[in-house]
Amino acid sequence: MQIWSWHGFFTYLGSPYIFRGALITVYMTAVSMVMGFLLGLLIAVMKRSQRRLLSWPARFYVWFFRGTPLLVQLVVIYTGLPKLDIRLSVLACSIIGLTLNEAAYLAEIIRAGLNAVPTGQIAAARALGLSERQIAWRIAFPQAFRLIIPPLGNSVNGLLKTTSVTSVISMEELMQRSQILVQDQFMVLELFSVAALYYLLMTTAWDFLQRRIEHYAERPYRRQQKTAAVEAIEFPATTQDAR
Amino acid sequence: MITLDTVTKSYGAFQVLKGCSAEIGRGEVVVVCGPSGSGKSTLIKCINALETFESGQIYVDGMAVRSANTDHSALRAKAGMVFQSFELFSHLSILDNIMLAPRLVQKRGKEELREHAETLLRRVGLEQHADKYPIALSGGQQQRAAIARALAMKPDVMLFDEPTSALDPEMVQEVLQVMMELAREGMTMMCVTHEMGFARQVATRILFVDAGEIVDDCPAADFFAGRCSARAQAFLRFEEAHPS
Repeated sequence: MQIWSWHGFFTYLGSPYIFRGALITVYMTAVSMVMGFLLGLLIAVMKRSQRRLLSWPARFYVWFFRGTPLLVQLVVIYTGLPKLDIRLSVLACSIIGLTLNEAAYLAEIIRAGLNAVPTGQIAAARALGLSERQIAWRIAFPQAFRLIIPPLGNSVNGLLKTTSVTSVISMEELMQRSQILVQDQFMVLELFSVAALYYLLMTTAWDFLQRRIEHYAERPYRRQQKTAAVEAIEFPATTQDAR
Repeated sequence: MITLDTVTKSYGAFQVLKGCSAEIGRGEVVVVCGPSGSGKSTLIKCINALETFESGQIYVDGMAVRSANTDHSALRAKAGMVFQSFELFSHLSILDNIMLAPRLVQKRGKEELREHAETLLRRVGLEQHADKYPIALSGGQQQRAAIARALAMKPDVMLFDEPTSALDPEMVQEVLQVMMELAREGMTMMCVTHEMGFARQVATRILFVDAGEIVDDCPAADFFAGRCSARAQAFLRFEEAHPS
């Protein structure tokens, strides 16, 4: 048996089966991240509440989901729900597990962001008569979001790879499909290299996207403010969003 | 316009306000002065309920501030506030800063509001900076924008909490100018400041606060002629000797 087969490597690299596995990984990451962010936002706000009726459940949630392995959470969801007569697809179970787990970490990131919004900005909004809800949506969240883009980027990057844990409940994402093909010709190194390359591609694409988001969010904070015309040439999409 | 009735406030064992009472009429320009830590900022923040107080009462245009059913939004629409550190919303353009609260709180129409905002910006000399973000403006410009933002709510009274203390000396005047103009137009104003020059020129009355008490409450002319408490006179001598 040869040490490394280029032929095998390129065959797997071009395999639609593996490619679709990567697409599933991207899909799971995107959906879990968005839903996890929304749930995390709710938990962060609850945890910051003065009322124990709100803050304690939030604290319990974060404690529980950060304190147990994702692998265990996935298995419990996958095997537990059918016993309650709730039948969901493997994909649904995977996304639920990833979302619940990610929300606990995102809640802490979001909380840090909200804590970092200067109190003077909140006082000024109050003095203008804005309600607490208006202050949250118009002042606190937008300012906090800008601050937490770098750690959120970490989370997306991490989640892209963490999705591979769902292979334990037989979710056919990139990693699981690579392992399935290993059974075929035992080209472990070639297959895992292909998988690694896919992960690198996906994280690189995210890096690029994150830079665009950061650029957009930092716009109000650049001292050298470009005219709208220059922005339109350099960043056509983001400038239109801003209008 | 504003009635302070034995307002009392403590931070734990420390009593910041020890029963402050005063009456401010429409069109008056009242300067609140006194040493640092005397409670003057706390007092002015009680008026628009940014600070709570334990006993006593404040009325703004007949509206009780400390009550279970106080409509804070309505109260704050009556009393505009300008802060020491400007506090323009850093993620919004100057124009959006001005239009945000009238749009959300008063539900005013976009067209009318835009016109009003542009008028206000011209008034404070910032019409060319409407689309910039706060960071691109100097401190003096930011404070003038903050004044315009407060005025956009069409308040009955303007509260200033050390509006020039965070400014470089050369920018103090441009802000004071805007405030003087406002006073001349008949706006009811209450201003915490160390700018004794401003107090001399525009104040109708002085409240001298020391250690949580309103020690002097007298016409500005009397105050600066020395017809005030010994404590106020000592404070005044110090301020004149060390102009900020």
